[in-house]
Amino acid sequence: MKARQTSFRAFLHDARTGSAPFGYLLVGPLVLWLVITIAIPLIYAVYVGFTDAGIIGTEADFIGFENYATVLGDAEFRSAFGRSLIWAVGGAVVQTVLAFATALALNQAFRGRRFARTWIILSWIIPTIVIAILWRWMLNASYGIANFFVTTLGISETPIDFLGSPKWALPTVIMINAWRWFPFLALLILAGLQSIPGELYEAAKVDGANATQRFFNITMPQLQPVLYVVGLIGTLWAFNIFDVIWLLTQGGPSGATQTLPVMIYDRAFNGFAMGEASAISVLLCAFLLIFSVLYIMFVPAGESDTEVF
Amino acid sequence: MGYAVRQGFRYAVVVVVLGIVIVPFLWVFLASFRPNSELIQQGIGINFDTLTLDNYRDLQQAAQYFTYLANSAIVAVSSMVVSITLALLAAYSVYRTRYPGRRPLYLALIITYVFPGVVLLIPLYQLMGKVGLINNLLSLVIVNVTFTAPFSVWLMRGFFGAIPAGIEEAAAIDGAGRMRILFSIVLPLTAPGIAAAAIFSFVWSWTEYMFASAFIVDEGKKTLPVGLGAFIQQYNIDWGILTAAAVATAVPVIVVFAFIGRYFVEGLTAGAEK
Repeated sequence: MKARQTSFRAFLHDARTGSAPFGYLLVGPLVLWLVITIAIPLIYAVYVGFTDAGIIGTEADFIGFENYATVLGDAEFRSAFGRSLIWAVGGAVVQTVLAFATALALNQAFRGRRFARTWIILSWIIPTIVIAILWRWMLNASYGIANFFVTTLGISETPIDFLGSPKWALPTVIMINAWRWFPFLALLILAGLQSIPGELYEAAKVDGANATQRFFNITMPQLQPVLYVVGLIGTLWAFNIFDVIWLLTQGGPSGATQTLPVMIYDRAFNGFAMGEASAISVLLCAFLLIFSVLYIMFVPAGESDTEVF
Repeated sequence: MGYAVRQGFRYAVVVVVLGIVIVPFLWVFLASFRPNSELIQQGIGINFDTLTLDNYRDLQQAAQYFTYLANSAIVAVSSMVVSITLALLAAYSVYRTRYPGRRPLYLALIITYVFPGVVLLIPLYQLMGKVGLINNLLSLVIVNVTFTAPFSVWLMRGFFGAIPAGIEEAAAIDGAGRMRILFSIVLPLTAPGIAAAAIFSFVWSWTEYMFASAFIVDEGKKTLPVGLGAFIQQYNIDWGILTAAAVATAVPVIVVFAFIGRYFVEGLTAGAEK
């Protein structure tokens, strides 16, 4: 034991800092942590998906692919999947546009820039529950301030029940989530913008490139390493968002905002169909995994400083 | 002339975007001081004569606010410390050392976000039950680290990339050991990145709702979002107490951010500047 300790100390003192065992040793704790909290629970979820488990923690029998057959034949599952796609794609478009506009504006020099750069993130730092209370009140059909503007400005004769009508609920929830996340995305893009050497723009100006050309030929390619990772993680995050929807609408009205994570939660904790919920979970993970693999294979990573991508 | 117009346009964009983010919150902040009878009337007029602290008094009587606050602080700070420690070591490993399997490992870290929290909720609940961590704040720290550490690794990338090549070798030649190099050379150079990742972890943990609502049962162990979240059902349309609860939940993190917020932005951007 003594000898082992000494050799471990000698190992930490070893001058060859870049050596392989040291690299493994440093990343090891995080990997172990993720294996215990993600890999093991996931294997368990896969197992539960093959059983008829009802309420959490009860005995269950192995029923093979029956849950998968039930789920895939369930119209509710297919519409929830479609809704998840609309949620992710719609949200991504709105957020990207807002975030780019914000990042480009914040990248300029102006008085009060530090204040703007700090507090733009307000909607991201406040808890989801606050966002739910805030928007539920402001979007209320009878006395919400949003409807004051809707009716006084003549956008609609009658008040719009933003969160309560099947037609409006999904777009509304998408907008609220975009409102919450676009500042964070904007700051990540801003960070990318700041890493672009100013000389590139100077040279392009000298060569007579206009603002649009500079954006597409310098800004976008230079941002690629950031956009690559943010595009991947952001999509995965978006797909998996649960709390905003749950606190705003609980998936309603009549399922209008029921995305896959909401459906999983509802099946597991309100429908007491743990087996089915797990089967849906596995299908969702499989879909996201395939998406990620295709993304990594086909989306250009751009050149990165760190040579990791 | 063209310059003035463009500068004006930039200001307009900044003001509009900041307004979109901040004004709704100010409106709710103001609402929390208005009597409920006014909050269920339409209109943008505010009667400044009727402003009151009643909503906060009701809130204080209905909820163990300071208990929730303390729990949230414990969870957020602990999650942040653990997350940053693991992420820092991992970031040094994937960005500054070379070994077989490094790139797949890095991709695997990023891909952890493939697995939805809600998917892990069920098995993690059972796992926590088995090890007796249900109703224990430690269970929340454990899941928060899982969801914050991988992204924190990526947030620090710019700073590790900016460390001059060969600085570790130079220190090693001078006789510094590996841990010494990590703590006295790498740590200071990456400090702003660590700050950004720390704030990211803190905010994520502070706002986390789903796991906290499932793992914690006791009133005395609840975090702020969960403790006051119960109000949404309970006080359905009592907007006075609800808006007061919203403000009381948001203010602590806003106060913290007022002090450290600028490091978040600097930490995200500074490492990448050329």
